[in-house]
Amino acid sequence: MLPSSSRREFLKLLGVTGGISLGALPPRFLVRAAESPAAISYDKRVMVLIQLAGGNDGLNTVVPYADPAYEKARPGIGIPKPQVLKLNGEFGLHPSLTGLRELYDEGKLAIVQGVGYPNPDRSHFRSMDIWQSAQPENETPRDGWLGRGLEWRFEKRPELAEGLTIGTDKLPLAFASTRINVPTLRRLEDFQLIDGHGSALNRDLTRIAQKRLAESRDSAIGELDFLRRATTTALTSADRLKSLSSAYRTTVSYPSTGLANRLKLIAQMLTADLPTRIFFVSLDGFDTHSQQQPGHSALMAELSGAIRAFEQDLVEHKLSDRVCLATFSEFGRRVAENGSLGTDHGAASMLFALTPTGKSGFHGQHPSLTDLTDGDLKFNIDFRSVYATVLDRWLEIPSQNILGSKFDPMGFI
Amino acid sequence: MQNVVPPDGLLAPYNGNRERVWTAREAAHLLARAQFGFSPTELDRSVADGLPGTVDRLLTPQPESAEFQQSETVLRKTALATGEIADLKIWWLYRMWSSANPLAEKVALFWHNHFATSNDKVASVPQMLAQNDLIRAEGLGDFKRLLHGMARDTAMLVWLDGNANRKRHPNENFAREIMELFALGVGNYTEKDIQEAARAFSGWHVREGAFWFNQLQHDDSAKTVFGKTGNYDGASIVDLCLAQPACSRFLANKLLKTFVCPEPSAAMISAVGLRIQQYDYAMTPVLRELLQSQLFYDTDFRKSLIKSPLDLVVGSLRSLAATVKWSLIVKRLADLGQDIFEPPSVKGWEGGRLWINSSTLLLRTNFATEIASGEQICTLLKGIVDGAEGASESVVARLERLLLEGDVAPALHSEILTHHQQSEGEATMKLRSVLQLMMSLPEYQLY
Repeated sequence: MLPSSSRREFLKLLGVTGGISLGALPPRFLVRAAESPAAISYDKRVMVLIQLAGGNDGLNTVVPYADPAYEKARPGIGIPKPQVLKLNGEFGLHPSLTGLRELYDEGKLAIVQGVGYPNPDRSHFRSMDIWQSAQPENETPRDGWLGRGLEWRFEKRPELAEGLTIGTDKLPLAFASTRINVPTLRRLEDFQLIDGHGSALNRDLTRIAQKRLAESRDSAIGELDFLRRATTTALTSADRLKSLSSAYRTTVSYPSTGLANRLKLIAQMLTADLPTRIFFVSLDGFDTHSQQQPGHSALMAELSGAIRAFEQDLVEHKLSDRVCLATFSEFGRRVAENGSLGTDHGAASMLFALTPTGKSGFHGQHPSLTDLTDGDLKFNIDFRSVYATVLDRWLEIPSQNILGSKFDPMGFI
Repeated sequence: MQNVVPPDGLLAPYNGNRERVWTAREAAHLLARAQFGFSPTELDRSVADGLPGTVDRLLTPQPESAEFQQSETVLRKTALATGEIADLKIWWLYRMWSSANPLAEKVALFWHNHFATSNDKVASVPQMLAQNDLIRAEGLGDFKRLLHGMARDTAMLVWLDGNANRKRHPNENFAREIMELFALGVGNYTEKDIQEAARAFSGWHVREGAFWFNQLQHDDSAKTVFGKTGNYDGASIVDLCLAQPACSRFLANKLLKTFVCPEPSAAMISAVGLRIQQYDYAMTPVLRELLQSQLFYDTDFRKSLIKSPLDLVVGSLRSLAATVKWSLIVKRLADLGQDIFEPPSVKGWEGGRLWINSSTLLLRTNFATEIASGEQICTLLKGIVDGAEGASESVVARLERLLLEGDVAPALHSEILTHHQQSEGEATMKLRSVLQLMMSLPEYQLY
């Protein structure tokens, strides 16, 4: 349970205060200010993570088209050289990534290569747990890297300790925390209480949950306390989102895809100046064991179109310098295709970042296609270095506290 | 099995050596976990029958009513005729709500979650139904037969790419999941075990909707699994998994998490795992002991589990509803995160705190509003509506006994009482208002 002073802060936070002032005070804990490359003040910065669930085939996303080993390993599903959207003499994008190609040309897209971790696990669930917890040694992680990041912020600036998951069925482990409740928004309508005897219900329920939460003194959080906190959070979020959609206009036409809808909702929330600073969305379907090509192309198009439209919307609303976006996936695919025109679970892979600081282009080194471990790429960038970059250089949350040890930040922010 | 000694320690009977209490609270605790909710009548009967009598009834097949048999048959035929998975969902929900064998349905759901298979990929109502019949037929029987059956189940074979598993191109999907999710758990096998086991399952295919051993695509050469070498086929891999000591512990952990507490201790897992071994994977005697054990009635574990959407929704309906509009209930359950026949992945629903977030809590509150209004999604039982008359104290106490296991802190009780007294309108309106509040409480999300 929270100490009583921060409990009061917590309850205040949950109330619809409306007048939270953002960015008024220079934060005392801003130890790395001198190193931070971003122009925008840290308390306005927003992080958007896109999970590519199922294990994205990095080799057919950023294609090492010039390497003869690529063609050899993928006679059936390799992207033919002429179709690759070439970025340089070695690498190019999947032909469906036209929007990301434009962002690359505009100096906004970073590509991080060879990302993974030691002793890679090829189970979806275990590897996703590792990526989301950032605790590869912990077999049963209880919290995630973003959840721990929010806990750290909560101590310093509770009004900036809000995260939100959009469109997933459950709270991702990345946001799990024993102290912070991160809402999961599947649709905007989900956040409205039905009327009926509504007003008395909301009033009595809020009072009961808050009062009994405040009475609780137990340091271990039981299921009942957990539910009381969650109830309070839910009721206040509902109030806050009620008036959201009326304020927002855009000339950008988003593709009609699930991912585009989710990113558009984030843009709406940012224009409404909601206090949420970390967003998590998921795009599913990357487990391409058989007949990979049509499905993977559609996913690439959905990813690229959604990010492109989101970025244009941010530019239109003068928000683009506030937002960093990154993709991740639990693993890449095996280098060699399998017998069903698909790929099996692999290890190291690549990720994209939409960087607000102009540090675009290639980061890290592409692993060899011939020097493999059990048929999989070897990593040369630990994924926690990517997290350290986001934490230290963007969110200004000391990464060592969150990741347990020191990982060198990279140059994409 | 005759030689198994009586349980002691954690599993010693609750009604054993010393005099123990058996009141509506204990009965409500048992019924909440062994069924999807309970009606006022069921609660009264269980109090009168006592603990051994209640558990005996739950575990002995009871005759279904003529009405149930008729409706069940119609719903089953409808699902097969339309081929719509939504109709099959209604069929199962009706069984959970209305069957005279509610524990069998609860255990069937346990196995559906354990062998989580989604129609999203299987895309066949007959195959999903056949798998469901399998888990109901074997669910309270013998896990060995169930696991063997599941390895040849057509929905499972489609779900985990059986047909793609061929002699020269082994597909690891089923071999991995039988070790990771169905029998052993992470850390009890190696990647090499999976690769070798995948070869043993090669050629286990589906043809024309039935299991087909495709001799030409079966790799008959030697495999080494768990350090043993032989010309294994799929059935021998299933037996090898069942012979691993990790298997009974793996099941014990899942049973405890479903029926007893969110985080079972190592001692609890060992105790239940040992009984599973001693009973040679027969589930009925294991459950019979567990549901009558001191462990199960430990006050620390009462109301320690977060209700799944099915427990919440079907449970509320069993307690309160006379008639139900099932098509709407199917939608509510999907929104709340538990869409039967379409689990999110082969890992099933992890449950616990993961059921809860702002969005699902508001939906739970909205569900409470809908059910209390007794208009669209259901009508209320006559006994419930009749209970609206009378003094606030007795109206509230009756509902607390039914919905909150009679276990309400004095401060909360007085809040609920005040809410009832201050609610406007006639007696029925006041009843609906207090029902809505009680079912929205954090306390109601627990059992």
